[in-house]
Amino acid sequence: MVDKKVIKNVRNIIDGLAMHQNPESVNVLEDIGTNSKVDEIREMTAKALVKKNMPESLKVVITNKGKGINDMSTSVAMSTINELLSLEDKAEAIRILEDTVENNSDEEVRDNARSIKALMALS
Amino acid sequence: MADLLSISSIRERIFNPTKHEKSVARSSNPFAQTSFKGNVLTADVFVSENDKAKESQANKISFTGKLKASALVGSISGFGNKIQAGIESVVAFANRIKDNVVNCWNKLNNTEITFEPAKEAILRAGAKAGDAIHSMFDSGISSKQIAKMEDLSVPRQLFMDNVQAWEAALAS
Repeated sequence: MVDKKVIKNVRNIIDGLAMHQNPESVNVLEDIGTNSKVDEIREMTAKALVKKNMPESLKVVITNKGKGINDMSTSVAMSTINELLSLEDKAEAIRILEDTVENNSDEEVRDNARSIKALMALS
Repeated sequence: MADLLSISSIRERIFNPTKHEKSVARSSNPFAQTSFKGNVLTADVFVSENDKAKESQANKISFTGKLKASALVGSISGFGNKIQAGIESVVAFANRIKDNVVNCWNKLNNTEITFEPAKEAILRAGAKAGDAIHSMFDSGISSKQIAKMEDLSVPRQLFMDNVQAWEAALAS
């Protein structure tokens, strides 16, 4: 059983890093959050990275296999997609999705990016 | 050798004057027929100053002849060999020092620090720093606190510790 205080701490740290202005905060979220064994932590981290809406943070959840929209956990992938669709300014996300469709070496990553791009165009 | 023979013959002639009477007439010494305290100088015992000078010159080292010149060159080249040997010994010494330094460096690289008090002190310092960070957030970590921190090493440490605690709780 996970201590509630620990869960709360993790949530607050991720939210705090999502608000942080220092670009290094993206690295902290990627290094620790997206590589965690716990689905909830990866999910919260991916959503925080999308909220930051920075090129570096969006690249982490769009172009990397096993992270964000390409996560093995369906809940993590769907939560990330919902967060992308919820963005007010989608320009940067669409630009990265297009770049991923054209240039990414992994076919699965390209297919996922193409699907999300279509969804974002409809939303 | 000729000089030695002449000296022995002179002595013989001085102390045995009658034996060499015949040779007296052939002597070039103007005092040959003069008696000195009963002895007659029968031989030329006076050595010319020129001869003495020649002899002293002969004893001095001069390098006028080809043989002597070549000996001089040989000695110089031998001296060069000594210098070269000296230089080689210096080079060998330097190489030995270099090898020792390299070996020392390799040993240092392969040496694990096993000074227990130092290791314990470092571990204690790290644990104290970690405890200090966690004691700052005993009441809980707020997102605003994290967002305001300029040094991201503290949020990174807190994030890592809490994630590990979560994963450990799920594993147990």
